[in-house]
Amino acid sequence: MGAVVGRDLGHRTHGMRLARMAKNRLRWLLRRNAAEVEMDEELRLHLEHQIEANIDAGMSPADARNAALREFGNIGIHKEQCRDAKGTTMIDNLVQDTRYALRSLRRDPILALTAAVTLAVCIGANTTVFSLIDTVLLRPLPYPGSERIVWVSEHFNGSRMDVGLGPDYYSMREEGRLFEEVGAYNAMTVNWAGVEKPEQLDAALTTPSFFGVFGSRPLLGRYLAANEEGAKAAPVAVLSYAFWRSRLGSDAHVVGKTITLDGLANTIIGVMPQGFDYPKGTQVWKPIEMDRATQFPRLVTRPVRILNIVARVKPGVTRPQLDAEMARLTHVIHNEYPKDFERMGFLKGMSIMAVPLQERIAGNLKPALAVLSGAVALVLLIACVNLANLLLARAGARQRDIAIRLALGSDRGRVVRQMLTESILLAVPGGIAGVLVAAGAVSALNAIKPLVLDRYPAIALDSTTLLFTVAVTLITGVIFGMAPAFAAARTDVQDALKAAGLTHSSAKGAAKLRRVLVAAELAVCLVLLIGAGLLGKSFLKLAQTEIGFAPERLLTFAVNLNGSRYVDGPGQVQFYDQALQNIRRLPSVQSAAVATNVPLGAGTFSSMVFQVVGRAPLPLAQQPSTDVEVVSADFFRTLAIPLLSGRIFGAQDSPASPNDIVVNQAFARRIFPGEDPIGRSIVNGPALHRYTIVGVVGSVRSANLGEPPPTVIYHCLRQGGNQFLQRMKFIVRTSGDPAAAVRDAEAAVYAVDRNQPVFDVKTMEQRLSDALAPQRFDLLLIGAFAAIAIVLAAAGVYGVMSYLITRRSREMGIRLAMGARAEDILQLLIGESLALVIVAVIGGLGGAWALTRYAKSMLYGVTALDVETFAITPIILAVVVIAASLGPALRASRIDPIQALREE
Amino acid sequence: MSRPNDLVQGTLDLLILKTLAMGPLHGWAIAQRIKQLSNDVLNVQQGSLYPALHKLESNGWIEAEWGDSDNNRRAKFYSLTSNGRKRLEQESQSWERLSGAISAIVRMA
Repeated sequence: MGAVVGRDLGHRTHGMRLARMAKNRLRWLLRRNAAEVEMDEELRLHLEHQIEANIDAGMSPADARNAALREFGNIGIHKEQCRDAKGTTMIDNLVQDTRYALRSLRRDPILALTAAVTLAVCIGANTTVFSLIDTVLLRPLPYPGSERIVWVSEHFNGSRMDVGLGPDYYSMREEGRLFEEVGAYNAMTVNWAGVEKPEQLDAALTTPSFFGVFGSRPLLGRYLAANEEGAKAAPVAVLSYAFWRSRLGSDAHVVGKTITLDGLANTIIGVMPQGFDYPKGTQVWKPIEMDRATQFPRLVTRPVRILNIVARVKPGVTRPQLDAEMARLTHVIHNEYPKDFERMGFLKGMSIMAVPLQERIAGNLKPALAVLSGAVALVLLIACVNLANLLLARAGARQRDIAIRLALGSDRGRVVRQMLTESILLAVPGGIAGVLVAAGAVSALNAIKPLVLDRYPAIALDSTTLLFTVAVTLITGVIFGMAPAFAAARTDVQDALKAAGLTHSSAKGAAKLRRVLVAAELAVCLVLLIGAGLLGKSFLKLAQTEIGFAPERLLTFAVNLNGSRYVDGPGQVQFYDQALQNIRRLPSVQSAAVATNVPLGAGTFSSMVFQVVGRAPLPLAQQPSTDVEVVSADFFRTLAIPLLSGRIFGAQDSPASPNDIVVNQAFARRIFPGEDPIGRSIVNGPALHRYTIVGVVGSVRSANLGEPPPTVIYHCLRQGGNQFLQRMKFIVRTSGDPAAAVRDAEAAVYAVDRNQPVFDVKTMEQRLSDALAPQRFDLLLIGAFAAIAIVLAAAGVYGVMSYLITRRSREMGIRLAMGARAEDILQLLIGESLALVIVAVIGGLGGAWALTRYAKSMLYGVTALDVETFAITPIILAVVVIAASLGPALRASRIDPIQALREE
Repeated sequence: MSRPNDLVQGTLDLLILKTLAMGPLHGWAIAQRIKQLSNDVLNVQQGSLYPALHKLESNGWIEAEWGDSDNNRRAKFYSLTSNGRKRLEQESQSWERLSGAISAIVRMA
């Protein structure tokens, strides 16, 4: 009835009523003591009236009073109901619950500590993964309307090629209907003359429309104008904020000045704002030297430019509309190709597709992040189960307390609220500590990030992440508090107050379930421990691998020769010769060399297929291939690569003897097993270029340390350079700390040519450490999970043992009363937890046996069923379990039998 | 514990509002007046009365004021607000509809 009427009321009066109700409640809360007094007075008055009425009816004063009191009933309950009717109890109860919860948590510091530690680890892990997801997937790119920016790529038979073609760019501009702007760019490096010393800069060659796609306004000056496109564009440059700030000292009058790039003067026309960072790390943008006439129409007979295409779609365009547009454009493009091209069957599988730019940037990490977030969520859930167990154990002990509260008229909802307040409070320190754990994990991730997550911005714990943590903490508190809270609310008052209250019919089944859960946790923990053990052992083995050269006291750096002096071989060789001479003259240098690749570094990759002279010719597809390196004569001596037979390069190698090569041992073993390779020849290519092997040297591992060394043939630099020798690495063996020789070595190079920057400066020890980064990352990840698992397993065992002991204190009491000694009890309980371990070890070893084989590719120098690891990890697990159950077991052995029996 | 079993929930509100429509009264007097007017049929227990009064007050349908009762004792007098008067009208109408419907059915049987 009331509801019907209530709905009939106008909005205004309803609103007014709400406002008044709120005001009343507030006033009531503020003047609560006054109100309590008033309520007492009101009820007392009622009682007095009743007594008077009874006296008037002829009772004696004493009888009248008793009768009135009897009729009146429980004053406390009336008052409680009045308070309920006023609706102020919510806040009131919360304050009360919180105070009560704090008091009861203080009484149980071990529980609070267990909760704080497990939750710190689990919430920390969740926060870390969330901050990663936030950085990579959720945070929008820092461009206006960034959701409308798409990345366009050629696809072949459904797989993305990650490139676009020059003609595609023009087709999209001219035929596209849904694009506001289409831009194209190529990323590259340029040499900058520098301020104090030359530097290599990351540059992007772009169309003017590229800037329109991103929609950012320049901070200073302007970006490329529409006519600054193509080969005839003026030499202009747009600078990044970071470059302008760090290298040009935030010069406010930089626009109009010139900057020398690759030996040419460029006019600076603008500076982009902070945050405009595409492609990532770009320091300078210049016009792309691409013209429509060189790309269009599409002809098979001339090369097209390979570039990257980005576009901004019009507002309101949906994904299906975009997909349909790209399909239409693919059709348009197919029609643009000459008919004979189509006949070659090339066009069939080709299409262009567009994906949101953010999706493309995040693409590779998405599945990994999904797995990772699933894993950490699961871990948190396990932690919740553990804590629920612990709280259940405590609820058992507190059952009588709760029963008394229920008997005194507290309602069950109130008991549930009380318990939930307690569990949420229990979760809060874990949440706070979790943020600290995450902060540590995030900085560790950022430290290792350049080597594994290079493309992504720095991971940060921002307000979104903190909000997430707060939500997770509260939800966690509710989840693990739920079971104990409802168990408490279900408390049967009569049973609980009767002596036998502690033996529930369902208790046995529940206890069994708990033990199964903990055994499963332990088994999972063992699998992770074994995984971590195998990876750790692999890592150690890998770090001790024979790399084939002496890495100590080596300094390495790169140059990328640019300018008219270095377009041909002799000019290049002359530069290296002079630079090496200058370096060798330094007192701290023992020897120095240049090479196309530095061991353990990523460099120019060159390989060739060949045939052995004197053997039956093979079809092209079956010819062996080998890596090809060009090195200066001192290369082997500088790196201390041993000569195994024949000779290494020397003074006799010159352009006059271009065909002598040195091979490594891997090459000799693979191509000439059981034969002497010295003096044998190989031929390569249609011109049948012929090379003769004059020496065999030791093999050197590649950056992929776990792989066997690749086969390599070495040419000598002196035999004559070619255009591929513009990018070379210097390798310098110093007598002291190689890092201390950096300045001198750089100066020695700049003495030859002031405009050729030295970059990628690293000691060989650093490169060795970098080469191990992927393995270190794997180890870090599984190690973290194993650590979490072991903390959880320990908490799980502790929870279950505590629970069992609360449930069985009577049994322990009887045992002690019958003459059992404390040691017997201890033995009994530890025995029970060891039984758990045995079950878990059987399961865990089985699981590891089944699973580690899939990790084979991550292992090095250990088998997937490494006996040592499989033997030691169960012992670690057993030790942890015994340590975790020792506390509760000790408590049980100290039970006072008389008290235990009386309590029941 | 002492639920108003004897009265349909909500009818007590109506009875209180109706009683207060005749003038401000304190709790005891309200109970007595209801008892009187119903010829001793409706006996409102204090366990129901005071929570109902507090609820009506916080809804803004009645307001309370401390004043002197007979014998110069301080008592909390409740009176109807203008919203309470509207509420009473609506409740009375729906009560009449309901009781009319019920008695029609009862008579039919």
